[in-house]
Amino acid sequence: MEPRPRDLGTRSEILVPYEADPSGAGPGGPVVRVRDLRMRYGDADPVLDGVSLDVAEGQVVSLIGPSGSGKSTVLRAISGLHPPDGGTVDLFVEPREMGFLFQDDALLPWRTARQNVALGLRLRGSARTEAEREADRWLARLGLAGLGPRYPRQLSGGQRKRVALAQVLALRPKLLLMDEPFASLDAIVRHHVTQDLLNWVESERIAVLLVTHDLEEAQALSDVVCLLSRGPRARISNRYAVEIPRPRNLIDARGHPAFAPLLQRIWHDLSDEVDQLGGAI
Amino acid sequence: MRAFKKAWVRQSLALLLLVALWEACSRAGLIDPFYAPPPSVVAATLYELFAGGSIWEHIAATFSAALLGLVGGLLLGALLGFGAAMAPLLADVLEPVMILLNAIPRVILAPLFIIWFGIDLGSKVALSLVLVAVLVFFSVYGGIREVDVRLVERVRTLGGGRGALLREVYVPSVTAWVMGSLKVAVGFAFTGAVVGEFVASSRGLGYLLSFAQSTYNAAQTLALIFIIMGFVLVLFALAGRLERRLLRWRYA
Repeated sequence: MEPRPRDLGTRSEILVPYEADPSGAGPGGPVVRVRDLRMRYGDADPVLDGVSLDVAEGQVVSLIGPSGSGKSTVLRAISGLHPPDGGTVDLFVEPREMGFLFQDDALLPWRTARQNVALGLRLRGSARTEAEREADRWLARLGLAGLGPRYPRQLSGGQRKRVALAQVLALRPKLLLMDEPFASLDAIVRHHVTQDLLNWVESERIAVLLVTHDLEEAQALSDVVCLLSRGPRARISNRYAVEIPRPRNLIDARGHPAFAPLLQRIWHDLSDEVDQLGGAI
Repeated sequence: MRAFKKAWVRQSLALLLLVALWEACSRAGLIDPFYAPPPSVVAATLYELFAGGSIWEHIAATFSAALLGLVGGLLLGALLGFGAAMAPLLADVLEPVMILLNAIPRVILAPLFIIWFGIDLGSKVALSLVLVAVLVFFSVYGGIREVDVRLVERVRTLGGGRGALLREVYVPSVTAWVMGSLKVAVGFAFTGAVVGEFVASSRGLGYLLSFAQSTYNAAQTLALIFIIMGFVLVLFALAGRLERRLLRWRYA
């Protein structure tokens, strides 16, 4: 599919540049384009109605919003787990170049860490030995060297999350969908896993769409933060550019002069979104 | 005293104490040996049964029926359970039948099976098989329907199709369920075989039991009960080892 100039839509406040930055540092061509997405489960009111967003190569976009607004549903539509009810999802990469990191770390309990990581590679046609060797390399890269033969229940929560991450990254995705991937981890483990991931995403210029309820995390990681309105019929009510240079360090990013004012602004808008409808987060 | 802290030591001691008490009561004339012969008499009867050698033929008959019923029931139950979970049409047909078979005490089918399959091995295998198959059907059918959706989605997003889902998610998940009911299935298989023999047969432990009962031979009845208990315990141990082997991810 040929990337075409993007219709920015009237709702977006901040334009996200599409043209590849000559320095190679900024976002590149489009990776996924969602237009007027509508999703419904059963006969209920649509969860989403008119969601449009873009993620470009080398760009991290995060999706925040009140709980129950349908953030995860956007990811399910893009990944193909749940077909859209209306609107379009255009992928500019192969479906096999897409990785999905879920909120929980549900690995196959009857497969070892190594087999779990190798699974995706084997499903893409790698031979068992080659896939398992590659799996070991990824486990080592994520600080799990030697833990390949262990079963998931023999690993800690943080280790399981790293295995799940290795499982997805081993596929060399060009688009990474993440649904509150680190919510269950304690602060220190979370910081390390997130930083490792960020380094890899930046060096490989992976396009990322991150769903989170943690505003600070969203800002520290992303180039663009999208605010989803309260559902049903949620849509993207605002977009914010995060102008902190890359490569980033999670701690330094939080100390960047642009960080606090933007955080305050997003918090304000998010609170309005919730109050307006008389609900709670 | 350290040994006393181990459960099996305490359990064995309790059992020994009970046997000793029984023997003592019997010798003191507190219980009528006609109804409850003392353990020493039961042991002597057991010895005679094995010394004569004819017991082996009966053990072989009961074992063949129970094992054939167990294996057949596991296969049939798993196949039907898989089929029903995959094909809704088959589920519509099978579910009511299975629910009915599950609701009744299935041993009441014994007389019917004897009319259909005769008094030889066939009717015992059939009874044992039905007992096991219904149990396994529900554990496989339920197991597949309660497969963790997250795992299914995980494998799908990694690029897995139907074959991969079956191999990576459904089969291992159902194996866990079936293993959980394997010990019950072993018990059921023996129930089927012995009850079948009890109703009508010319061989087997159930036949001997029914013979001992008709001659009011309590010592022999108890001896046979102990033989059956012994074999079932051995099979339980084997089933436990198989479970630990197949589900090593759970015990590792």
